[in-house]
This record gives sequence, structure tokens and C-alpha cells, in this order.
Amino acid sequence: MKLTRTIKYEADRVKGFGDEVRSVPGCEQLQSCIQCGTCSGVCPLSIYMDYSPRHVMALVRSDFKNEVLKSHTIWLCASCYHCTVECPRQIRITDIMYELKQRAIQEGIYPRHFTIPVLAKEFYKMVYRYGRVTENVLAATMFLKTNPMEAVKMWRLGLGLLLRGRFPLVLEKIKRRDELDRMMKVVDKMHIDQLHDDQKKPRHAVAGGHA
Amino acid sequence: MDKPTNQNIRIGFYVCHCGSNIAAMVDCPAVAKYVETLPHVVLSRDYKYMCSDPGQELIQKDIAEHKLTRVVVASCSPLLHEHTFRGAVEAGGLNPFFFHMVNIREHDSWVHTDKAEATTKAKELAHAAIMRVAMHKALEVKRVPVHPDALVIGGGIAGIHAAMTLANAGKKVFLVEREPSIGGHMAKFDKTFPTLDCAACILTPKMSEAGSHPNITLLSYSEVTKLDGYVGNYTVTVKRKPRYIIEDKCTGCQECVANCVYKEAKFPDEFNEGLGKRKPVYIPFPQATPQVVVIDPKTCLNFRNGELTGKCKKSCVTACGEKQAIDFNQKETFLELKVGTVIVTTGFKAFDAKRMPQYGYGKFPNVFTALEIERLVNSSGPTGGHVVLRDGKTEPKSIGIIHCVGSRDKKTNRWCSRVCCMYSLKLAHLLKEHTGAEIYNFYIDMRTPGKGYEEFYDKLLEEGVHFIRGRVGEVTDWAMSKEEMEKGKLVIRVEDTLAGYVRRIPFDMVVLATGLEPQEDAQSIRRMLNMSCGTEGFFLERHPKLAPVSTFTEGIFLAGCCQGPRDIPDSVAQAGAAAEALVLIDKGYIEQEPNTAYILDDECCGCKSCIPLCPYTAITFDAAKKKAVINEALCKGCGTCVAGCPSGSIVQNLFDDEEIFSEIEGVLAHE
Repeated sequence: MKLTRTIKYEADRVKGFGDEVRSVPGCEQLQSCIQCGTCSGVCPLSIYMDYSPRHVMALVRSDFKNEVLKSHTIWLCASCYHCTVECPRQIRITDIMYELKQRAIQEGIYPRHFTIPVLAKEFYKMVYRYGRVTENVLAATMFLKTNPMEAVKMWRLGLGLLLRGRFPLVLEKIKRRDELDRMMKVVDKMHIDQLHDDQKKPRHAVAGGHA
Repeated sequence: MDKPTNQNIRIGFYVCHCGSNIAAMVDCPAVAKYVETLPHVVLSRDYKYMCSDPGQELIQKDIAEHKLTRVVVASCSPLLHEHTFRGAVEAGGLNPFFFHMVNIREHDSWVHTDKAEATTKAKELAHAAIMRVAMHKALEVKRVPVHPDALVIGGGIAGIHAAMTLANAGKKVFLVEREPSIGGHMAKFDKTFPTLDCAACILTPKMSEAGSHPNITLLSYSEVTKLDGYVGNYTVTVKRKPRYIIEDKCTGCQECVANCVYKEAKFPDEFNEGLGKRKPVYIPFPQATPQVVVIDPKTCLNFRNGELTGKCKKSCVTACGEKQAIDFNQKETFLELKVGTVIVTTGFKAFDAKRMPQYGYGKFPNVFTALEIERLVNSSGPTGGHVVLRDGKTEPKSIGIIHCVGSRDKKTNRWCSRVCCMYSLKLAHLLKEHTGAEIYNFYIDMRTPGKGYEEFYDKLLEEGVHFIRGRVGEVTDWAMSKEEMEKGKLVIRVEDTLAGYVRRIPFDMVVLATGLEPQEDAQSIRRMLNMSCGTEGFFLERHPKLAPVSTFTEGIFLAGCCQGPRDIPDSVAQAGAAAEALVLIDKGYIEQEPNTAYILDDECCGCKSCIPLCPYTAITFDAAKKKAVINEALCKGCGTCVAGCPSGSIVQNLFDDEEIFSEIEGVLAHE
């Protein structure tokens, strides 16, 4: 058995990351976390997580950016808001999870081949382009980019959907897509969304200090 | 406004460095030099510490040598040392009110960053003081006698201890308790942490001692409804609720209880947190003080909606026989008491666990509150000390204790209730002792500061009680199908933060360590006694460190949990508030600041507009003279009536028109 060192050195931290997350509106309360674990206790998905929500809060506060952004936890969050409702310090944990998800996509350091971030990104791309989501195409793209074999296994479900007319074979699009384009250009310009690849901006803390 | 021309006014001015507190930001010698040039100033000095003995002696010496008639000191806040300097001036042979103090520390050096500007401000403030002090008049401190009797509101352990202390010092005390018996929450406890002393064994002797003390008038089943007057001379109205028993005639034999037409006790018993049953006529608990029964008109057959029906055959009256202690015609009565001091010991209310529905109190029968468990483990409790589930027979084999229910939570109560960690440990010990069950404590942080407390925690760890650091997410009776162990149990879902897993743990019994809250009627008590409250609703002490039992109302003191959550030793220690009351009583008088307002009788037109303005109800109307009258003892010198009087016929000592206008002129004189 190979033993690996688990110690963390100062160089492993991305200093300023915690402060940066805290500076996002809605995430300020992170500071007052008392690590009681109520969030993990009520979270319906915490039983699948690599780090519990409480643990994520501690990691963010201590600037362990790479560990947090690579974790499955932020992608497993289903936004049920139970943690936010029950938190005794009224920390908006779900909102912090969103902030972390956005950063993970933007910096491209989410877990590879993990379906949820891929789905989020493809969903966004599709809406950006066509103004509407075609579910079967989206699902197919997701499987192609993560685990193609899984899609093959689901042929029976696909067939059933097809027979009932729930499997459209053409892409759904909205009318007057030029207007959507114009709107999205404004959005891009204002850097409102952080999911679009072309909008990578060096405004995040990177290893070795502020950029 | 005429300039003071009186050549007899000779002012001495002193500016204090306060070490470097003032001198670091204000050029003190420059201020002294500036003041020297002002009219009537005969000497002007700067000095390192004016409040020191040499500083005070300096003032006294200068008064004699330079024939000073007025003194001004520029230093810290008057709250701190006005009294000191007035004393020094008086010792020098002047009327103490020929002195004025300028605050150049809190109002100047501490709050500014520019030395030149701060120095200018000090000069301006000093100039204003020099102008005003010339107008000062000799005033006299009045003495008001203090009534030697005291009132204690609330008969819990703090109230009992405070009343006993005063009574043992020979003072007459009225102890008012709204329940039928004194004893408060402590009477319900089984053991006390960390020594595991039996609570009843240490409390009940004190209760009966208080009940029979010749100097204590015990008014149980009574409430204070009104408080008038001022320090040393309060008039208190006490409402005596009808208990339908003549206290003096009842011997506590309880024949009436035995012979009540209800053969079985069938009404929830308040003292046992509803776990036991009582009859309409009952005595709350065996050691109740006074040993007098009480009839509850809500359940007694002889009453309906509070009205006497006479429909019961009144077997209790027959059983009472010649004692004739039962009086169904008793009505609410009001008693008026004269006291000099008041000690407020109204205690706390336990958090209502139903406010946290995720823990299932009230929904799952086997979720208990800590107070219920106190009664269950108590050998004089409803089950005789036998710990059983709500069904009355099953003994629990596993028990989970959830800490911080209604504490440290912004959605309910933000504060730490201080006692829950320790009482949870105590209950864990007692439950283990009684049932041998597996016991789990779920905590956020263990807080065991206190003599012997950490050692008690240690003892519990050694006893094999489990401790899981994590706040419980929910209590559910829904068993996960695969887990046979969860069937029919209460399951706690929690993150074991130290082990790093989310866990589901099944229990037979769940105990909620509920926090402490202000009493429901704390706000009305606060208004009645003219006290302040903190944001959380507990009564506010005058100073959190140096005056923890005093309030902002003179002569009213606090002790126990009405001021904030605390345990028994701290409550008893705080009941030493009695000592503060004793100081007042034994001194026999209080000195009154002469900065009170008075009416210029010739000018008052009797319009009464000042009367509703006074926050201290110090102004009354003399119908015969058709003039307003100010009670000096009640006046706190706030000046509201002075500003409000349309004819300018109210004047306040130390703040009359010429004093204020001179001060304004002074502060504006410096360019």
C-alpha cells in the first residue's frame, strides 16, 4: 500500500480565496460559521458527498480553493435550501455552493467526466444558442462527454419515449433568435454570467496571490 | 446678556494630561496659556493627573492661597470624576457647585486625530466653561430618607437568598411570588451539577426558613401590579390572587385533597410539567412553602368560567371541618406596601421546544424536554424516579440528548444559555444511573467553565457516555427500510463532525436541552419598574462588569436569571444584590443632585402643558393655587419641562438661562 502525505502547507492555500467568496453578495455570513454541522445533518445528499457542506465551509474559509473546486459536493447540491433554512447562523449555504460552482466552471477545475458540471455547461450553451433546451439532445451530449456506454444502456427508455412522441428529432429553437443574440451580447459585455468560456477573466485569486 | 462684572469672581483653571490620554492629542500647556487670558481667570495650570491626591490637594491649596471662588477642571468625563473634584472644591472651603468640569478626553482627545484641531476644540470647551462657571450659584445637596423595608419580586432561589440575607440583617422584607409556592425552577430539579447534591435537600430548608422568618412577609400567589415613587420611598401595589383558601387557617393537612369529589387526580400537574396529575384542590409539591393548598377555579366543579356555581357538593369543605379554611367567595385583593428598595428576581422561562419542529417535540411522544426529565428522574416526581417512556412503562435502552435547543441560533435565541451543557451532563449521568441506557450527547461546543465542571465532564467521559460533536439536523420516526435497528425508534440524523460522517442513530428516547429565555411578561415588568432591557429581553444591569446587580433606576436591583442565563451558584452569588440594597437602607438617606427643575410661581399660568411631558411623573398640579408643582425627589433633571414650558416659568438648577447662554457665547468666542 502506498502512503501519501496529507499535510497541507501554506503553499497549498490560495490566499484570499475565502475573502473573495465572502465578498460576493449573499455569501458574507460565511464568516460566522460555527461548524455545528446542521447543514450536513439536514442535507439529503450529504450521504454521497466527499466533503460535507460543513467541511466545504471550513475549506473555503481556510483558502483551500483547489480542494473545494475539485470536490463533488458542490455539484451534488440540489438547491433544496434545507441547509440555508436550518443554519443557526443564517448562512446562505446554497448560494455559496452556487458561487463555488460558477468559479469551478470558469476556472475549468471541476471534476472531469462528472455529469453534473458538464450538464450545467451544456444546458447553458444550448439556451445561449437556441433560446430553448431540447432534452434528448442535451442528455445525449452529456453522455457523450462523460460516459457514452451509459447512454447505450438506456436504449429501452429512449425507445419508449420515441414511441410516445416524447423524443423530438429536431432541435427546438425560439423565433427571432437575432434578438436573443443581441441580449446575450449585452450579458457577455457586462460579465453578468461567468459560465461562458469566452469570458474568462483574470479576476479570481490564483495560486501565488491575487492576480 | 450682561457680561459678568463682579470683581469677586476669581476662577482657577486646571487642564489634566491624564497621562498621555489627553496630552497625546491636546497641547495641554497651550490650553492653559489660552485660558489664562480669559476674564476672571486668576490662575491656569496643566497637570499630569488631576484626579490624584496631589492634584486634588493642588486645588485646595490654590483656593486658599489665591482666594479662588470658582474652579474649572478640563479632564475626563464628569461621570468619572465630577464627584471627586466637587469633593476637592468643598474641602477647599467652597460650595461644590462653584465647580465645572470640561470633558476633553471622551469628547476630544480620544475621538480626534488632528492635534491642532483637538487643541482648538479643548480651548473652545474650556472657554465655554469659564463663561458659565462665573454664573454658577451656590446649591445645596438635599437628603431624602430611605424606607427601611425591602421588596423582593420572585421567590426562586435568587429571591429566597436575597430575602433571607436582608431578613437576617434585621430588615423587613416582602417576598412576592406569583405561583402558589416559592422555590421556582430549582424546586423542580432532582440533583444539582457538578456535586450532585439533591436540589430539594438544599433548597427546601431555605424555603421553609424563608416562609417562617419573622422578618419576611411571604406573599405567594400574588403579583406586583404597580410601583410608584422614587428611590427610598416606593409605593407598591400587590395583587393577591384568590386561592379560595384562607392562608392563616389552612394547616396543610390536605384532608380536602383526599376528600375532593374527584376520586382520581385527572388534571395535568403544572409542577410536574404535565407528566403527573392533580385534583382541582392541590398542593403543588410536598415541600411547598407556604404549606397551603390552592383551588384551581378552572377545574373545580364549584366554578364555571370563573363564576361560582355552587353545583359541587363541596366535600372538601366538610373535610376541612372546624378549621373553615376554604372560602369560595374569596376575591382578588390589592395590597399597598411602602418600601425603600426593590430586588427583582423574576427568573427565566424555558424555551418552548415546539418552536423547533424538526425535533418533533409534541409530535413524537418520546421526545422530552430537559425539565420533564428532571421530574422523571426525581424520586418525588410523577413516576417516583422511575424513568419510563411516555407510555408509562417501557424503560428506554438508548437516549439521545440534543444540546442548544433554542440557544446559539439566530432564528430563535442568539445567546448561549450557559447552563444546558452542564445540566445535560447531569441528566446523562442520572439517566445512565437510573436506566443503564446508552446515552449520546449531541453538542456544538462543550462549555464547562466553572469550579469542578470540567472534572464532571471528565467523569461522564469515563462513565462511557457518548459525545458527538454536531448539531442535530432532525429527529424522525421514519425508519430506513434496510435498517432493522431503526424500526419503531426515533432516529437522529446528524453529522458527526469529528469522525467526518453523516450518521443516523436510533433512540428510544430523545431529550431536548432547552435554553433559557426572558419571562413572557418581562416587558411589562420592565415598564412597571422603569428598567431597561437588552436586545434579547433580559433586564439590563447598570454596568456589565462593575455594577452587575444595579439598574438604571436607583434603588432597584437585579439578581438571578432575569438578568441573563446563569446557574444556581451564580444566581445565589448575585442575590448578594441584597448587600447593595442594605447599603442604601443602612445609610438611611440618599443625596439628591440639586440639578432639579423648579417652578417660578409668579410666572406659571397653570396651563398644565409640562405635566404630560415629565418622564418621571414628578410634576403635579396644585388645584388651589392653579400652579404646577415639581416633586424634587422625583425630578431627575432631564430638562424636558424647562424646554416645554410656553411661558418660560420653569428653571433648572445648574442649567438656568444665563448659564447656558454664557456657555454658548464661550464656545463661539474662540475664532
